[in-house]
Amino acid sequence: MTEATMTAAIARSEKEVSERSPLARAFIYAALVAVSFVMLYPLLWMIASSFKPDDEIFTSTSLLPHAFSADAYRRGWNGLSVGFGQMFFNSLVVCILVVIGNLISCSMAAYAFTRLRFRGRGFWFALMLGTLMMPQHAVLIPQYVLFLKLGWVNTIMPLVVPKFLAIDAFFVFLMVQFFRGIPRELDEAAVMDGCGPLRIFLKVILPLSTPVLATAAVFSFIWTWDDFFAPLIYLNDIEKYTAQLGLRTFVDATAQSDWSALFAMSTLTVLPVFILFVLFQRLLIEGIATTGMKR
Amino acid sequence: MTSLALKKVTKSFGAVDVIRGVDLDIAAGEFVVFVGPSGCGKSTLLRMIAGLEPITSGDLAVGGARMNEVAAARRGVAMVFQSYALYPHMNVYKNMSFGLETAKMPKPEIDTRVRKAADILQITHLLDRKPKQLSGGQRQRVAIGRAIVRDPKIFLFDEPLSNLDAELRVQTRVEIAKLHADIGATMIYVTHDQVEAMTLADRIVVLRAGVIEQHGSPLDIYNKPVNRFVAGFIGSPKMNFLSVAVAASQDDSVVLNLAGKQLTLPQPVPVGQGAPLTLGVRPEHIVAEGAGGVSPDGVSLGTFTVMHVERLGGQTIAYGNLDDRQTLTVALDGQRSIAAGDKLSVSIPAERCHLFGEDERRIGG
Amino acid sequence: MASMGDTSPDVGRFARLQDQLAGYGFLAPWLIGFFVLTLGPAVASFYLSLTDYSGLNAPHWVGAENYLRIATDDDRFWTAMNVTFTFVLLSVPLKLLFALGVAVALNKGLKGLSLFRAIFYLPSLVGGSVAIAVLWRQVFSGDGLLNQALNMLFGYEGPSWISNPSTSIYTLVLLAVWQFGSSMIIFLAGLRQIPKDMYEAASLDGASPARQFFKITLPLLTPVIFFNAVIITIDAFKAFTSAFIISDGTGGPIDSTLFYTLYLYQEAFTNFRFGYASALAWVLVVIIAFFTAMSFLSARYWVHYDD
Repeated sequence: MTEATMTAAIARSEKEVSERSPLARAFIYAALVAVSFVMLYPLLWMIASSFKPDDEIFTSTSLLPHAFSADAYRRGWNGLSVGFGQMFFNSLVVCILVVIGNLISCSMAAYAFTRLRFRGRGFWFALMLGTLMMPQHAVLIPQYVLFLKLGWVNTIMPLVVPKFLAIDAFFVFLMVQFFRGIPRELDEAAVMDGCGPLRIFLKVILPLSTPVLATAAVFSFIWTWDDFFAPLIYLNDIEKYTAQLGLRTFVDATAQSDWSALFAMSTLTVLPVFILFVLFQRLLIEGIATTGMKR
Repeated sequence: MTSLALKKVTKSFGAVDVIRGVDLDIAAGEFVVFVGPSGCGKSTLLRMIAGLEPITSGDLAVGGARMNEVAAARRGVAMVFQSYALYPHMNVYKNMSFGLETAKMPKPEIDTRVRKAADILQITHLLDRKPKQLSGGQRQRVAIGRAIVRDPKIFLFDEPLSNLDAELRVQTRVEIAKLHADIGATMIYVTHDQVEAMTLADRIVVLRAGVIEQHGSPLDIYNKPVNRFVAGFIGSPKMNFLSVAVAASQDDSVVLNLAGKQLTLPQPVPVGQGAPLTLGVRPEHIVAEGAGGVSPDGVSLGTFTVMHVERLGGQTIAYGNLDDRQTLTVALDGQRSIAAGDKLSVSIPAERCHLFGEDERRIGG
Repeated sequence: MASMGDTSPDVGRFARLQDQLAGYGFLAPWLIGFFVLTLGPAVASFYLSLTDYSGLNAPHWVGAENYLRIATDDDRFWTAMNVTFTFVLLSVPLKLLFALGVAVALNKGLKGLSLFRAIFYLPSLVGGSVAIAVLWRQVFSGDGLLNQALNMLFGYEGPSWISNPSTSIYTLVLLAVWQFGSSMIIFLAGLRQIPKDMYEAASLDGASPARQFFKITLPLLTPVIFFNAVIITIDAFKAFTSAFIISDGTGGPIDSTLFYTLYLYQEAFTNFRFGYASALAWVLVVIIAFFTAMSFLSARYWVHYDD
């Protein structure tokens, strides 16, 4: 028996001693299952209720509708003067443009901060970190006035254009963290191979950064999809509404008289996020974890 | 084949001077090895030649043309990195062709060059693989291949063997020497391993704290180190340094006090009686009587008490003291029957002695 | 030149023109954004806070009048402060505790970790959306899901939690705590970073699990706790959507859910008092900055850093 295997064996037996008893384990499991159940129940119930008639929503806590009906989706989809299809499309357009804008502008800024040598880099980096903490409310009104003067209010420009200017410092920060992990010798090899900064960025850094780009893309999409405040301020005409605004309008319009339709539309607005979550769960969780760990 | 010249080259990082005035001419086709302890500036100097670090002052010329401001890729140099720095997202072929594509070389020509280099390095069967799928030795070859395809005038190697295991290191060392013999390009090689330096170099450049301490052929440096630092750095086991004092200084010889005894060396010293000097003796040059060795015309170093013995098979290394407690290492050929506690009388041929003054410089030829 | 984030100390001294061009070229979008959308508006917003700007007329200078009115003559401001602080002081510790507790439980090498992690994380991903606020509104209404369940299980006839001014804020606190998942994930990542051999060494020394938690886990986790606390607090101050949807944008009933941001929104975009709203915005910025600064100052007394 080598020393290493012996140490490992000792460590293992020690660990077994320190592990909790089966009873404690069972208790933890039971607690976790209970918490999961309570947390998920409202969501599942919302989905179930979208297939129930209205009277059943207020009389049944069950997840299984007695009388299954998808009619609420039809009523909801056409429940406003402009169909939800249009609003989903609007949301999709905004989200895709925001994703593109964030990926381009934030990766450029992160590349400059991590890889290029220029005067004032540390100063700008410190300012960028400062904006991470700054609440948007401080700049809200002048931004609104600016977009108003530019004639951009009631268009998607205010929702999209700032993202092409790396306004989401969080993503710059996320990418800075990732770029720092790419060995500098690769840049130098590329320099020896005759690459300038642009070619290094496009041919070396970006291809190696697909994980962080994907993370940023998915988070950008989800946060933009869920965003309510900016569309509320900037979009006035119902045919320009995003899905979130549409849903809010639907709450007012139905005056809560058609809950199943409301839940049907709620379910639909959550669905894209849910799908992205299922597809990219790992990326999202790792993205959150890394930003939390390495500040 | 191209020559390279460094003239009064310096490099400062802020207030820290890393390279402090380096003058060096490298002939076309020469294999030059930069050695020195870590932090001596050898890698920085290589990177300055490569174009990865700006030169603070002085001139760098390749083939007679000043290169200080020329972009790395246009200097006609290629570099093999310590970590190989292969692009992880490109296959071997692409790793090798990337620089040529950047230079907008026609595709057929790129293909010819890549395949030729792959053939030389016997990595043709790996061309479609990604670096992740290669062993350390294979990655090393690809890194060299990436340099070869560019047909550089000068190859730069930055500690290229340090990530390989011992066996592969020896093998690759031989291959690099062969590569140099085959293509005859100028090569500059950085290492902290003096065995690599001794085996590969036409000329060794020993650096310390940003200054060239000595340059010359491996045997020149081994036989005539210009100072105590170089003497201690080149050679393994390390040279012994014994404190001695001048007992009598004559026109053609000097008598030294060592461990209560006197020994005479047939060389003049420029210092008077009583001056402290350092006597340098390489462990492998010491002859030990009483252990099967004879020393007909050597100078006696006195009695050596063995404290510890290492048996390498081909060599027996003994560690111990002289009578005055000065430590001494003795390397004897073959397998000797000596053990801790043995007392041996040790001597050394006079021409194998090195004398260093108080300024640590070599005295005499 | 002293600068953070620089790895090569010679930045600036030997940098050539093309390096400057490349650097500023890549930074250009961010720089434009910073000046046009952040710094400029921040300055403008401070100026506007000293005027009576309505968005229609040219701003008239009123000096500190807006701030004076906030401090002395605005009951709704104080209501909003009260609501917001209640929300922050309740939701932040609860969320932290929940996130930490669940993370520690999950970190015990249980099977099904990734499933539980996913379940707990999902709410924080969807929780800020209108749909969830809508759902919350139903769940806590008089004949909503909660009261149905209470009735079924205990025969208890619950009130309408949402439309009762004394309970409505707690439904929002609950909604915030429900979204503890992302903090939990950061805690889990932090727990992973604690070297296993520390626990092994501690068991060899005979430390009980509880003692290990308080003497090893908690101290080594303080940087993560600190990070989470700052993030959650800032987020809590900025909460908006849930209160807006649940109260139909009013902050009701009787201003019991009048989040500061909601009040700010009403003043700016319902009443078009841009000047006054700017002053409100700056007060919020100062409050958040104060809290953040206090956290950082306090950090040196309780946050344990290795280096």
